[in-house]
This record gives sequence, structure tokens and C-alpha cells, in this order.
Amino acid sequence: MPAIIELDQLQVTLGKRVILKGLQASLTGKSIGLLGPNGAGKSTLINTLLGYYQPSGGTARVFGMDIRNQARDLRALIGFMPENDSFIARMSGVRFVRLMAELSGLPPAEALERAHEVFYYVGLGEQRYRPIGTYSLGMRQMTKLAQAIVHGPRLVILDEPTNGLDPMARKRMIQLVREIHAQEGVHLIISSHLLRDVEECCDQVLILKDGAVAAFCDLERERIANRNVFELELKNDAGAFVTALALQGCDAAWSGNGRVRMVLPDGHERREIFQLAATHNVQIRSMHRRRDSLEDLFLKAME
Amino acid sequence: MSDRHPPAAGHPNHDNPSTAAALESGSRPPVPESPAPAVPSTQSPVSPNTKAIVFNNVSRFYGDVLGVNGVNIVVEPGITSLVGPNGSGKTTLMNMMSGLIFPSQGSVSVLGVSPRDPERLFPLLGYCTQFDSFPRGVTGFQFVHTTLLFHGLSGKEAEERAWEAIERVKLSDAANRRVAAYSKGMRQRIKLAQAVAHRPRVLILDEPLNGLDPMARAETIALFRALAAEGLFVIVSSHILHEVDLISDRVVLINQGYIVAEGDIRGVRSEVKDQPMQILVQCDRPRALAQELFPTETIVEARLLPDEIGVLFKTTDADRFYNAFQQIVLATGIQIDVVRPVDDDADSVYQYLIGQPGAVS
Amino acid sequence: MAVYQRTYQRYDGRMLSLDTRLLALARFTFEDMRKSRILGPVFYVGLIWPMVSLLIVYLHHNLDALRMMDVGVNQLLAIDKRFFYVFLSFQSTISFFVAALAGPGLISPDLANGALSSLLARPVRRTDYVLGRLLPLAAMLSLITWVPGLVIFLLQTSLVGWDWFTANWRIAFGLFAGGMLWVAVLSLMAIALSAWVKWKPVAGALMFAVFFIAAALGEILNALLETRWGHLVNMRTLMATAWAWLIEGKATGGSGFGLFYVFENQEIPVSAAFAMLALFCLLCIRLLAIRIRGVEVVR
Repeated sequence: MPAIIELDQLQVTLGKRVILKGLQASLTGKSIGLLGPNGAGKSTLINTLLGYYQPSGGTARVFGMDIRNQARDLRALIGFMPENDSFIARMSGVRFVRLMAELSGLPPAEALERAHEVFYYVGLGEQRYRPIGTYSLGMRQMTKLAQAIVHGPRLVILDEPTNGLDPMARKRMIQLVREIHAQEGVHLIISSHLLRDVEECCDQVLILKDGAVAAFCDLERERIANRNVFELELKNDAGAFVTALALQGCDAAWSGNGRVRMVLPDGHERREIFQLAATHNVQIRSMHRRRDSLEDLFLKAME
Repeated sequence: MSDRHPPAAGHPNHDNPSTAAALESGSRPPVPESPAPAVPSTQSPVSPNTKAIVFNNVSRFYGDVLGVNGVNIVVEPGITSLVGPNGSGKTTLMNMMSGLIFPSQGSVSVLGVSPRDPERLFPLLGYCTQFDSFPRGVTGFQFVHTTLLFHGLSGKEAEERAWEAIERVKLSDAANRRVAAYSKGMRQRIKLAQAVAHRPRVLILDEPLNGLDPMARAETIALFRALAAEGLFVIVSSHILHEVDLISDRVVLINQGYIVAEGDIRGVRSEVKDQPMQILVQCDRPRALAQELFPTETIVEARLLPDEIGVLFKTTDADRFYNAFQQIVLATGIQIDVVRPVDDDADSVYQYLIGQPGAVS
Repeated sequence: MAVYQRTYQRYDGRMLSLDTRLLALARFTFEDMRKSRILGPVFYVGLIWPMVSLLIVYLHHNLDALRMMDVGVNQLLAIDKRFFYVFLSFQSTISFFVAALAGPGLISPDLANGALSSLLARPVRRTDYVLGRLLPLAAMLSLITWVPGLVIFLLQTSLVGWDWFTANWRIAFGLFAGGMLWVAVLSLMAIALSAWVKWKPVAGALMFAVFFIAAALGEILNALLETRWGHLVNMRTLMATAWAWLIEGKATGGSGFGLFYVFENQEIPVSAAFAMLALFCLLCIRLLAIRIRGVEVVR
């Protein structure tokens, strides 16, 4: 599969500090998560791909185009949703997105059509005619997403897309991101601190630490590898049950939040678990595959 | 808008020595009191006020605009999460708890202290705001240190406590750099340090995990747990519901100025009576499973999932359901992949009580 | 019945050439400028003197009209270089006001809420962005400086004949080149201030301040050090020197007229004047380059 983004010994220096220290990676997924502690260089990497920073060494290629000398043409293919506020307060939502669309190359009539389409898609109704300065945070986030996708980019970069959104708006944002992901010919880069969001939306994950690649994982492969890891929630006193489970070879242990983490060996009968539970007078209230594999991966990468 | 109401007949007058004494001892203050009739709090009236934060029929309006209306809750020690859409009144509640604004109606009492008594209240409180606003040019250390000086600590003690707090949030090496140069996560942590430095008993945190990377989140959550274990009231507002599930002892759901629910999430869920509990089962023979369960009279509905990967049960009695379920699994040998309640968490409760997906507000 | 689903569809249609993107920005900027209620009237005020000048030129060659008005030809202003200097005096002043009104709102709204991160993520260069914001202002300023100047000149030529043109062609050259220079200086100054100052009235006031305070400082320097080099920071003398040289070929004492009169014993070398003006423009460009970035740098 052709690489969407290739980082070739990418080095970026700001002032006197070297922020990105020779990054080397080849990202092929349709949706790539970008993770890392604060200061690891995620924003710097994104800003470099956009051409806001010039590499001080090495280079990066997006869709085969070199960021050093084809930055402007590249930007025609990229849509960017910044983390911080990014709007012109006096302009109405539609006008702002129209401006963005036209700057990306759309003819005026198409730009207006497309701006309205995108507003419909993100769920902003008649608020689109009001100045952005009057919008709530949720509306502003949606406007940022709108301007990022209006010109149909092949690569959409989302920096903390769910920042500050209340639970319903977060759901809506994730749903939108997944729909964009499902579209043919569109790739995503999502930088977020919320591992759940990344897990739901991404195929591959690049973890940065101190300006270097700490880990690069394929989530699908991880899910397959972790398919035998279960999490149990039990009622009644379960100490003896857990011990018995462990003795059966199920590698059972209490995990942080009062639940039991267990690895089911291949071929092990689920029925036996229930049998054991009945014997120890324990009710299994919940048994499902662990959803926090990304969290484990992240913590391991940070060591 | 003025927050200083003249002590009208109806508001507890803390200049009145008998009222003050009554507040001190924890019993209900004498008659010239809040204009609303003494509505019993959700807790039994025997519980003394000095051990909890009590909202007694509190309303707050900003001119015509509603902040909160008719709030009656009692907050206990431990981690309490405030959940609700933006603009629902969370910040209003927090501001009233911390004495920054006063109720239009009703009374608030924090560990027996009225928020109209700032000298006694502020030492008890630590407040971590949602938005960043720092004095220009200060370093991290100066920020925390100066706050401690405001609390009346001596210079040396303030220094020690400041470093202690800064170490607790793991910002020791960055403490002497200017806050303007901090990343978002670092600013969040320095605010936290400032809130805990004077060892308050009540910690009010407005979206404290915002902008923190996963490790810092886990560390901050651990810090909250540690503080809660020390007996503090940790009141957190958050939008990340699965974290709310993870860390809270109790949850308060608020929507459009009204308290919609409060208590332990599981408890809240079981009280939402008109919605039977939903339990998802993924197995190899969903139809057979459903067939076996119906006669046991523990389910009210069974819905086959698409592609027959499983079945969604609805039950009004979880306990009996699980027992029946377990027996059937043992008896029939159906291979179970997944069994879990799908609406036993903050997310589902939120959806039932507050959410309307699709609209952007 | 057909039910239409509206899910996300990528835009796959026509795209325009990336080189013309700054024109799109210019169009939006112009539409935004039009919303101001003061700018229009001030601009029209700026067209008053050109209209009057056209009338004077016309009257010079229309004795019937003169007789009707009962005015002698000698009472009209003669159409010579002085005439055009008067024209320049009025128009430079009014264009200064237009720049101070329209300039501050060009870039500060973009900076106020971080819109540059989204704007510069487009396939536009930073220069394209600045030019896109600048051109409508420059066009407006041109329309009240050298454009009407040249129109008046052409009218005169058409009424008088080729001889007059060959004798006075340099005036046209001076109008054009000097006008462009003045427009460049004004627009760059206005837009640079817009990038650095948040509040529009303050930015407008600063434009005046820079001119007058610098001029005052120059005079003080001259008086204290008994020299003429203080004039190098005085925009009036710089432009007077530039215009005199462009229109007359020399900038010695006695050249120029009106606002842009070059005083005897107060001349400065022409090359120095042009150099200072160029330096000023470069300074404005440098100030812009620092502020117009996709990412704000905080140390």
C-alpha cells in the first residue's frame, strides 16, 4: 500500500531547540492517530506538514510530494482543523467557509454551494448566517471542521477535534469523523489526548515522545492479538473465583477499576468460566473484550 | 450584576451573633432565614451541615437569564462529578459553592459555612477554573506562591507549600519558567497546584483534565483519588463520560438549569424506571438463548442484532436475569462471547435523561 | 418515492488555478471594506478636487462657458506643474485619511481569533495573503491619486495638443511613478499597523502619530544639530523631494509647490530620499513577515 505520509529523518528546530529529532516513519493507514505527551512534538509535526515550519534536516512526503518544495500544492490536498480558536469574528459562518473554499480553489458559485452543504452536514442550521463571534464553543468546533472539509481534501488533519465539546456534541463529532473516514479517497490524521476517541476512529497510531517515534502500531492487528483478553465484572465476593480462574490457566487478575482482567487461552470453553462462577456463587454481570488496549500500548511506549 | 444583596429579612445575616453561633454548631439557623420554606434535603435531616455541602432550594438568575432553578442537593466527601451540556448551570453551581456569586433564592452552605462569609470560606476552598487567566509575566512558582501569600501564610511557609503542591503535579522543573510559555497541559497542572496548595477541604475543578495527555490524565485522576481518600470534597465537572464512570463516587446530572439526577451512577440508572435495563449478549446461538430465556419471565424484550451476532435483552430485574442466564448457559452450552449491560454507565444515563443527538447547541 | 440520503461527499468538481487565489481574497476584502459607512463618503470626498480640476481644465478651453460664468481666463489656475502640485497636495492628504480609515481593519480581525492557522493552511503563500488584503486598499488609493491625475493630464493633452504633451510629459511620469510610490508607502504602513495593533481607532491614530511625530523629531534634530538630515524622517520632505525629482528632474530649493515645496537650503539628496522611502517600505514588509504566520511563536 502506498504510503500516505513518509517521514524521512525529519528534523525541525525552533529557535535553539530541536523539537523533532529525525523522525522516520511510513504511514499507510486510512486513519492515523497521532499521540504523545505534551511537548512530544505532535503540533510541530502537524505544522511542519502544513508548511508552517521548515525542516532543518531530512524531509517528509505527503502523497509523494515533498514538503520542502511542494508545500503550496500539497496544501490544496490537505484540510486542517486547528486545536485553538480559528475564525474571523465579524464574518458569518457561511461567508467564512466560502472564503476558505475559494482560497482553496473552488469557483465562487461552487464555493457557496459547498459551504452550505458542509454546514448541513455538520448540523449547523440557521446559525450559519450569524457572525462566528456569537457562536458557542460547539458551534465553533463544527465550523472549524466545516472549513477543513469544504474543499474535499484527500487528507484531513484534525487537532483535538472533541476539545471542550459536551457529550452529545462529542458523539456527533466522532460520528462525523467516522463518516469522513468511510469516504473513498479520504485519509485522516487525528491528534488527540483522548485514547478512546483515537481507538474508535483510527487504524494506525503513531506515538511520539520527546521528538522521536516511540511506537507505531496497527490497531487492527492489536485488536486481533488481544482478542483473547476479556474484562469481567462480578457481583458477590469473587476472590476465590479469581484465584480459581488463574489456576485454570486464565491469567486472571484484578485491574484498577474493580474489574477482573483475564486472558482466555485458545480453545478454552466459555462455559467453564460460567461453571466456575456458579460453583463459587458469583454472578458474572459483564464479560467483554477489553477496550483499553490502546491505553496499554501508550503506557508501554512511554516507558 | 451586583452580588451584594443588603441583608434583607430572609437571608441569613452573618453579622447576627446568634445566627453565626447557630451555624457554627451545625444546627439549622433560627427563623429569619431563607424566604423559601425549609425544603428537606435529599439526605436525612439528622446529617449535620458541617460534613457536607448543601444547596437548599437554590435558584440563580442573571437578569432574565436562567442560571439554575430549584436546586436541592447535598454533596458528600469523595469525588462528585458534575455532568451536563455547556450552559446548563455547572459553572453557576460551582461559582455559588465557592462564594463568587450568591443565589437569587435559597441558601448554600459549605461545611456549615455560608458563602457570604468569605473569610471563613476561602481557606476551605480550592478553585481551578476552566479558562486560563494568569497575571502577566509570572512564573509557575510565583503564581502558586502568591496565591498562598494571599491566604495569609508566612513567606517561608508559603514557599514550602508552593513547592509541595508543584511537586504533587509534577511541574518542579518547569516551575521557574513563565506561565505564558507553558503548554496547555502544563497550565492546567499549575492551576491545579494553585488550587491544592493551601490544603483546602473542598476542591472545585472545572474541566481539570482538559488538554492533558493520557499519562497526565491518569496521574491527575490518581491525585484526585488520593485527595478523596484524605477526606476532601473533590467536585469535578467533565464531559468525558467514561472517565466520569471511572473516577466518580457520585454524579450530578444537570440540564438547562435543573438537576436531572444525582447519586451513584448505578443507583441513578436503576431509578430510571421507565427504561428497563438493556443487556447485550453476543453468542453463537442467539435465537436459542432468547427462546430459553423467555419462559423464565426475567426479560421483557429480546431483539436480535443484525447478522445474528447476538441479542439485546431488556429486563426490569437484573439480578434474576443474570441468575437465569447463567443457568441456561450451563445447561445448553451456548458459547458466550460477550455479555454486558449497555446502559449502566454515565453515557447511557446521559442519553436517556439529557441527550438529543444530532442538534448542535 | 425516492428518498435522498445526505451524507458526507467529497468535493470532486472544478478547481481554479492556484495563482489566482489572491484575487478571491481581494474580492472578499473589498466586500468587507464596502460595509464601512465612513469609508465611502470619505472616498467620494477624495474625488471632489479631481472633479474640480477636470472642470478647470475644461474651462480653459471653452470660452463660451467662461463667458457664461463671467470669469476671465486669467482668473483660473494655469495648467502647469503648479496646478498638478496643488492637485497632489489635496489628494495625498485625503488618501492619507482613507488609508487610516480602511487600513487597520485589513489584518487585525484575522489575527484576533487565530484565523491565520486556517487561512494559511490553504494553498496560498504568505505574500499572496498580504497582497490579497492589500490590493483593494491600494486600488482605492490609486483611484484618488494618480489615476485621476493622469485622466486630468490626458484631458489637457487632448484639448491642447501634442506640443503641450512633449513639453510636459514628465508631469505625467511624475504623477504615475510618484503616485504609485505614495500608494505603496501608505498601504504598507496601514497594513503593517493593522497586523500589530489590535484596536482599529488606535491603529488609525498611530498612522497620524508616526507621520507627525517623526516630522517633529526631524525638525528638532535639524534645529539642535543645525543640519538638514533630520528631514530624512520627515515624510513630507521625503515625498516633496521624490515628487520634485520625478516631475521636474531636480529637487533643489524652489522646486515643488504647496504642500510639497522644497525649501531653499533645506534640500536633501534625491538618492537619500528614495533610499529612506524604500527602507520604510522594507521595514513595513519585515514587520508583516514577523506577524503573518500560521503558528504564533511564544517563547
